[in-house]
Amino acid sequence: MIEVRGLKKAFAATPVLRGVDLRVDDGEVLALIGRSGCGKTTLLRCINFLEDYDEGEIRLDDHPLWYRTDPDGRRRRVPDQEARRMRQQMGVVFQQYNLFPHMTALENVCLGPRFSQKVPAADALTLGRKLLARVGLADKVDAYPVHLSGGQQQRVAIARALAMRPKVLLLDEITSALDPELVGEVEDVIRSLLPERIMMVLVTHALGFAREIAHRIGYVAGGVIAEIGRPEQILEQPQDATLKDFLRRIR
Amino acid sequence: MNASTLTLLLEGAGVSLALALTSIAPATILGAALTALGFSRFAALRVLYRLYVYVVRGTPLLVLALLIFYALPALDLRTGPYIAGALVLTLYVGALFAEVFRGGVLAIPRPQWESAKSLGLPPAAMLKKVIAPLVVRYTLPPYINVCVMTVKASSVLSIISVWELTLAAREIIERTLAVFTVLGVAAAIYFIMCFGLDRLGRRLERRLMARGFAGEPV
Repeated sequence: MIEVRGLKKAFAATPVLRGVDLRVDDGEVLALIGRSGCGKTTLLRCINFLEDYDEGEIRLDDHPLWYRTDPDGRRRRVPDQEARRMRQQMGVVFQQYNLFPHMTALENVCLGPRFSQKVPAADALTLGRKLLARVGLADKVDAYPVHLSGGQQQRVAIARALAMRPKVLLLDEITSALDPELVGEVEDVIRSLLPERIMMVLVTHALGFAREIAHRIGYVAGGVIAEIGRPEQILEQPQDATLKDFLRRIR
Repeated sequence: MNASTLTLLLEGAGVSLALALTSIAPATILGAALTALGFSRFAALRVLYRLYVYVVRGTPLLVLALLIFYALPALDLRTGPYIAGALVLTLYVGALFAEVFRGGVLAIPRPQWESAKSLGLPPAAMLKKVIAPLVVRYTLPPYINVCVMTVKASSVLSIISVWELTLAAREIIERTLAVFTVLGVAAAIYFIMCFGLDRLGRRLERRLMARGFAGEPV
């Protein structure tokens, strides 16, 4: 379970998040939608602390992440080593795949287990092969990213994130950079994960996909979650005026 | 030019090449260590980096060579000119390598850092598995550039009586007065050494790039 409370974040003097409250339950798939620049990606990045935040609290399974409050009330960052352990519980997939170009698909997938979680090399390789087979790339284990299509690279990136056996997958517009005909194969991989009931938070512009896989959709606007609910509710009976307008434009 | 003159020049060339190589190896380590200082979280170490690089890079190699040549005995360190010469080159080239490597670290795209971070990689693994391999690939051409320069820069060390190709040439000229022949041959030998180093660099580049790196060798 992830809980976000009163999350605030400003870039220089521009506030982006103005007090976000959010709760994602175990096994839940939550989609975040909203206009570009509304802060949905920033929110996702804050959860993994790729982005620092100014105020608020993020908890994973009731453990506070990234910051501790001293008895004297001062907010203190957790030590790097602890932050690394926290990150190992989350898998992130980026819009631009971000595979390591000098490593094969298998090496990319095995890197985290091998060096962050200190899994023995042979076990890491077995796990890596299994995961690559799972995303349909059993025959590409030794391929370098440059020789893979965007869709294949993104599937490797999903396998890389899964290799850490994360409690939550954070998916940041994972199909936005893909050619339309490659979107399906990446979405299929995400669909195939649903029976495992792994918690997911995805930022997306693909409303159809969000509607299909998400348990809830959150609409981010004005630096807060302006509206949240079941997909039908959000997409068919939106209450918020800006959400109605957003849905009209996007369709 | 007779055979014994040519042999003498080639012997000198051997010393030049040895000087360059025995300096490039420790200078690479020095440069990498300096770069690490340059990216330290402690401001004092970053200042130390800049101080070293600016001072050494801002001093002519000739002046640095004289300085160290005279400073070593004053510090009661008795070394031969060869050791002093290698030390000069190491200190000088180390500063150049440091800047080359720093450029390589700066060239790593932010998403690569974020990927590594999101995997929770410990610093040692991050350096060994992600940062260093990328920096090597990004900096190979300017690195080879500095290596080639080092071979030629070793000629400056003749001024502090390191017997290498340039000093050998000058000795021969003093005896034979065949200025242009001898200097011409010496220049040709320098060229061949540098050309060889260049080819080696290209081969290394091609090998690294072939292993999945995004850039195609030119």
